[in-house]
Amino acid sequence: MLVVLLAVVFAAVEVLPGDAASASSERGDSAADVAARRHLLGLDRPLWERFWDWMTALPTGDLGTSARGQNVTELLADPFPNTLLLGASAFVITVVLSLALGCWAAARPGRLVDRIVGHTATAAFAVPEFVISVLLLLVLSLWTGWLPAVTVTGADGSPATWTMLIMPVLALVVPQTGWNTRIVRGALADQAATPHVEAAYLDGLPTLQVLLRHALPGAVPTIATGIATSTGMLLGGAVVVETLFNYPGIGSVLAGAVAARDTPLIAGVVICAGAVISLILLAADLIRARALGARA
Amino acid sequence: MDINRRQLLLAGGAIGATALLAACSSGAEDTDTAPAGGNKPKSGGTLRVGALGRASAITRDPHGTQANESDYLILALVYDTLTIPGANPNTKPRLAASWEPSADLKTWKFKIAKGAAFHDGSPVTADDVVWSLKRLRNTPSGAARLPGIKPENIRAEGTDTVVLVSDYANAELPLLTRLTTFVLKKGTAEKALEKAPGTGPFKLDWFRGGNARLVKNDKWYGGAVHLDAIEVTMFETPQAMANALLAGQIDVASNAGAVAARTAASRKDIQVLRRPNDMAMPIVMRTASGPFADVRVREAMRLVVDRDAMVKQVLSGYGTVANDIMGTGDPHLAKDIPQRKKDLATAKSLLAEAKFDLSKTYDLVTTEDIPGLAESATLFANQAREAGIKIKVVKQESGAFWDKTWKNGDFYTTYWGTNDSVIFFASKTMVSEAGQNEAGWADKEFDASYLKVIGTADETARAAALKELQQIEFAKSGYLLWGMADGIDLAASKVQNLPKLAGYGRVQLENVWLR
Repeated sequence: MLVVLLAVVFAAVEVLPGDAASASSERGDSAADVAARRHLLGLDRPLWERFWDWMTALPTGDLGTSARGQNVTELLADPFPNTLLLGASAFVITVVLSLALGCWAAARPGRLVDRIVGHTATAAFAVPEFVISVLLLLVLSLWTGWLPAVTVTGADGSPATWTMLIMPVLALVVPQTGWNTRIVRGALADQAATPHVEAAYLDGLPTLQVLLRHALPGAVPTIATGIATSTGMLLGGAVVVETLFNYPGIGSVLAGAVAARDTPLIAGVVICAGAVISLILLAADLIRARALGARA
Repeated sequence: MDINRRQLLLAGGAIGATALLAACSSGAEDTDTAPAGGNKPKSGGTLRVGALGRASAITRDPHGTQANESDYLILALVYDTLTIPGANPNTKPRLAASWEPSADLKTWKFKIAKGAAFHDGSPVTADDVVWSLKRLRNTPSGAARLPGIKPENIRAEGTDTVVLVSDYANAELPLLTRLTTFVLKKGTAEKALEKAPGTGPFKLDWFRGGNARLVKNDKWYGGAVHLDAIEVTMFETPQAMANALLAGQIDVASNAGAVAARTAASRKDIQVLRRPNDMAMPIVMRTASGPFADVRVREAMRLVVDRDAMVKQVLSGYGTVANDIMGTGDPHLAKDIPQRKKDLATAKSLLAEAKFDLSKTYDLVTTEDIPGLAESATLFANQAREAGIKIKVVKQESGAFWDKTWKNGDFYTTYWGTNDSVIFFASKTMVSEAGQNEAGWADKEFDASYLKVIGTADETARAAALKELQQIEFAKSGYLLWGMADGIDLAASKVQNLPKLAGYGRVQLENVWLR
């Protein structure tokens, strides 16, 4: 799957106008200079050959060399952990919040709370990350001065204070919590209609106990899948959010790499993000298999 | 030439929080220059500077392609160039304390400043400079960076004199040593570049992912440095940078642009610094062939444009009207050539005389590389309609634009982020054989005039020749230069004595102090 994706990435960069040699040239460069750099970067070789070289070096952890001659692995060494930190924080908070909100709403089916949570969740998911980011910035930083407006890094390459993480994480959490709350609520509603949950209700067990003990286990596979799909959206959103908050992650690397037609660098970012998403999907599958297996 | 289009691209983007904020605020304060303060510079303090840059384009090589302003700023503070931009004259000494041409203006001798030393204490020798200039010359863009100077014609004379021999007479050669003639120690290994000692006013404390901390060089030959340290933070977008300044996380937002300036104008605690003649966004008309080959058509186009409206709308008023002569920051700009103004009647009669086909629609190709560029094309197209000229604005993706349209198109926008001299632009973009002859202009009279200027040693005679050159350019060239954008820096009120020069003048932060 990842191989196909990477092939698509290589091909996509190829069809963009210009290449890494012309994109990294200066105005003063002559056509010969650009041709020389093109040769140096190996851009005069066929696409499949470059792809093959890059792929075969991959198992050794070598992500190739960027158009500017830097080692891609080194280029991503600082920003990728930062993006992981941002994404993981947002992921954990999203999971906790959407489970809590989903259960809260499910415990009062059809009541006001349920409707409010449902509508708010839909609205939250509908709002793009950059709108949320701008609002957060205005309110929490520029008007009140409570939080730093942008991320400034220290000598170690990570954000100087943890407060710099709050707004970027929130901007990612809000839409994804909206999405996942609806999934949790929906999955619980499906479960509520199953005989064993209905029976538990009829037995007069407390609502919370029914929810957690009887309904939730059955809803886990659906919830796990829903949350896993969030990973991709979280990472995608991170690219936008990082730019707005000047967060030193892979978002800015990717944006610049696309502008520079820097195929190895773009592929490097894709494989890092792809690996994370694959892992989460795998985890979700395992959870599903276990949950279903336990009931089979 | 070190201004790279992608460098300028970084100034791009103009929406988001700052724009929103602008709508929420009122009142205005605009400072054209840094407050004089009136008092003596104070020592100490750390200046936090924001500069634009992209993580994927970071470079630590002083002779590499510096696509990031943040990188250039850091390098310019750690290393020294031979000369630096000035107001008048526009070339001032730095590592080269003085220079002397031979009678034929081909051989130039640069004397290294007394007491110049690397951060590790060793003195700067002519060998170091020669090695550095040769290294610069041998980069892929070397021929463009030191035009007319072959690597073998760079040599040392004694320990403190560097000799450059140009292929042709060149009275303006010291100007070429203003940009990236950064000097490293002779024989610095490629792998040691990141930590290589410089000679500049600041020493590198640390660098990480485009951000850096620099500390004062107490022994700098160039005079006392007031700041204890400078911290540079790289920003991907001007709006994030402006937000950081508004929130007090940085003290200076370098080259923040007009949108950020409008936002900050309402804040009493923020200075808006304008550096005039920072960026040219001329319209290029192909003179070699096509519908604009007739000089009367080009003249008509120049008469169609409402320059005041362009400056007001495209640049939000942060700029000045120009007179179709490139190099407006030059102290020798011919200001006595009458300003060309909108004159539709003359334009129409010129077009009729030239039998310009008004039934056709002409494509004006542009990109969105820098803010205002595409807007300038659209506004011009609207203005041209008043004269019955139908112009369609075609926006091209940056890569395609530079690959296909630049230097080839009949009618397109371009931009130059520099205050370099009239002669610099003439040599780069207008003499027949110029590598970046954007309009395909070949004019014998102009070429002769150019050779006369750069081949004349006598100052007065050269000034006269330079004026003649500007007159030809004004009358015939392929450029429609309607105005010049200001460079705009934002700074907290405590920051004093920020640089006021356009282009790369802005990186000279050694005289800054904090109140």
